[in-house]
Amino acid sequence: MLKMSKLAKAYYTDTVKTQALQPFDLEVQQGEFVAVIGPSGSGKTTFLNITGLLEEYCEGQYLLDGNDVTGLSDKQKSRLRNEKIGFIFQGFNLIPELNLFDNVEMPLRYRSFSAGERKQRVMDALQQVGLASRKDHYPQQLSGGQQQRVAIARALAGSPAFLLADEPTGNLDSKMADGIMSLLKDINAKGTSILMVTHDTVQASQAQRIIEIKDGVLSERHTPEQAIA
Amino acid sequence: MLIGYYFKLAWISLKKTPLLSILMIGTIAMGIAATMITSTVSIMMAKDPLPEKSDRVFSVRLNSWSPDKAYQLSRGEEMLPPMMTYMDTINLLEDGKGLHQSAVVMYKSMVRSEEQTEKEAKMLRFNSVNNDFFEIFDVPFLFGSPWSDSEDKKGAALVILDKQTNDRLFGGANSVGRHIFVGPHLVRVVGVIDSWAPLPQVFQGPNRAHNLPYPLFTPFQFQVNNNLLSKGEMSWRCWTALDDGTLESFLASECVWIRYWVELEQATQRDDYTDYINAYAQEQKKGGRFAREKPSELFDINESLIEDHVIEDDDRIAVWLAFAFLIACLLNCMGLMLIKFYGKGAEVGLRRAVGASKQHIAVQFGCETVLIGILGGVLGLTLAQLGLRVTADIFAHLPDGLMQMTTALAVLTVVLAVFSSMLFGLWPIYRAAQIQPSAQLKSQ
Repeated sequence: MLKMSKLAKAYYTDTVKTQALQPFDLEVQQGEFVAVIGPSGSGKTTFLNITGLLEEYCEGQYLLDGNDVTGLSDKQKSRLRNEKIGFIFQGFNLIPELNLFDNVEMPLRYRSFSAGERKQRVMDALQQVGLASRKDHYPQQLSGGQQQRVAIARALAGSPAFLLADEPTGNLDSKMADGIMSLLKDINAKGTSILMVTHDTVQASQAQRIIEIKDGVLSERHTPEQAIA
Repeated sequence: MLIGYYFKLAWISLKKTPLLSILMIGTIAMGIAATMITSTVSIMMAKDPLPEKSDRVFSVRLNSWSPDKAYQLSRGEEMLPPMMTYMDTINLLEDGKGLHQSAVVMYKSMVRSEEQTEKEAKMLRFNSVNNDFFEIFDVPFLFGSPWSDSEDKKGAALVILDKQTNDRLFGGANSVGRHIFVGPHLVRVVGVIDSWAPLPQVFQGPNRAHNLPYPLFTPFQFQVNNNLLSKGEMSWRCWTALDDGTLESFLASECVWIRYWVELEQATQRDDYTDYINAYAQEQKKGGRFAREKPSELFDINESLIEDHVIEDDDRIAVWLAFAFLIACLLNCMGLMLIKFYGKGAEVGLRRAVGASKQHIAVQFGCETVLIGILGGVLGLTLAQLGLRVTADIFAHLPDGLMQMTTALAVLTVVLAVFSSMLFGLWPIYRAAQIQPSAQLKSQ
């Protein structure tokens, strides 16, 4: 479970304070699929980065799967991120010099898995996204949709409790985007919670919950249309 | 386990940007090679030739020179004659105050075996020494041994050959007891020395410092008895006119031509021996000699090298310049590493997102600097060997061993490259570890 209480984020320069996220409360239960929508510059990515322990928050409390994140060292946060969270990015963020196997294996290298266990997990994850047979291929040999599938496999390999997806279909055509959404729903159906930032109201409507961020204010919406209105 | 993974990543990273990698490795290699070539030549030229006892083996320098004029001035300071007169040599040898002592002079003569005809004789150079010489300078013997004290005193017709001469005259056999001709004199071989290349060679003076020793050794008194002086080639200086050209007048003159070495039991006896030679000078003063004020002195082996300008300050400046060049190369490499590591911001962001800590990132890039250092070191070592070979070709008159890097120096080369690469990689690594992952992930 993910629980945020009175969490807020502000950026400071010498003279100006910019409130990126106003204090908010949020709980996401295990197995939920939550869409995060809002206009550009509203604070969606900042919210996702804080959730993924990539950015600090200024005030409030954040419990990730029961662990209070406040005051943890870089090493502790990295470990928590590795074990609990899987990231999916709009630009796929695969390393072009590594083949699919090595790309998917990357998060497992920072955990004390044996070589055999790493191999098993990588193959299971690639199997899940339908690319096991192409483990020795390089990212540039794949289509955009396939590359995003590899990125999803990488996020899944460590069996995280949460998947954080930042515009996962933003760089794909509609057919490929549908395929990725369908894959994410399958993953969610197996019990992995998903927080997905998106612009696309159709995709957002496929989530169980919708959170809107507008001018740094988080609010729960029942439908995407309600958010747009 | 992770270290192996990091080195694999480092190798992939180097292959990804070949030009940048070649520049980094090449820059380190150039700096390391220049430093190691200069250091090797400098170390080899100025190394202690007798490290076990260089602080208790001394060149004895008596100030028997003219009352009117110093022997030589160096930067306004009076220098002592590096050689001494025959009469002082004989007096000091007779006193025998040191543990071992020996005169050292050179001469040349025609040499042939008994079987060879006069036409087959070759002109060779000799070390004219006392039997203690071999003990003082730790000369290794292949066959036989030095001549005895009594043979030394009377100047017996004996010779010790170096290995090469023994190979040439006797086919490498044990020639002890056999005879050779030195000029018209039939002399008996009492020993053959093993390969011996004391560098720098201190006992024959600065001109011979970086040459191999002369190939034959005969008793000092044998040279004198038989008037085997090579005045055209040996070092000698006089401040009084010679009465005539005879050997007797030369031996009785104030001409200096003999280098005198003494080995003391302990380095602490240096002051006692200095007192002894100055007491000797006082004694001689009564007879009208030793009129100069500057006292006589002892110079140990390393001091002799400096006094005789075998080791020059220029050598050290060259090493410092080479190290400065290395630092310039490393700073350059640091700049290239900054570019390289900063260019990997997206990868850093991704790795941080999937669970790598700053420490993981630092170790990953640390391994890359180590790999750059190892490759730079190996290439630098190769360049240094090539450079030394070229240097050796240019200075072909110097012995082979002089321009050779020892194993210790070779290992040091690679270690220095790795250490330098790591040290100068610290800042780029620190900067890379500080990269904000959130800023990189969205921008990709």
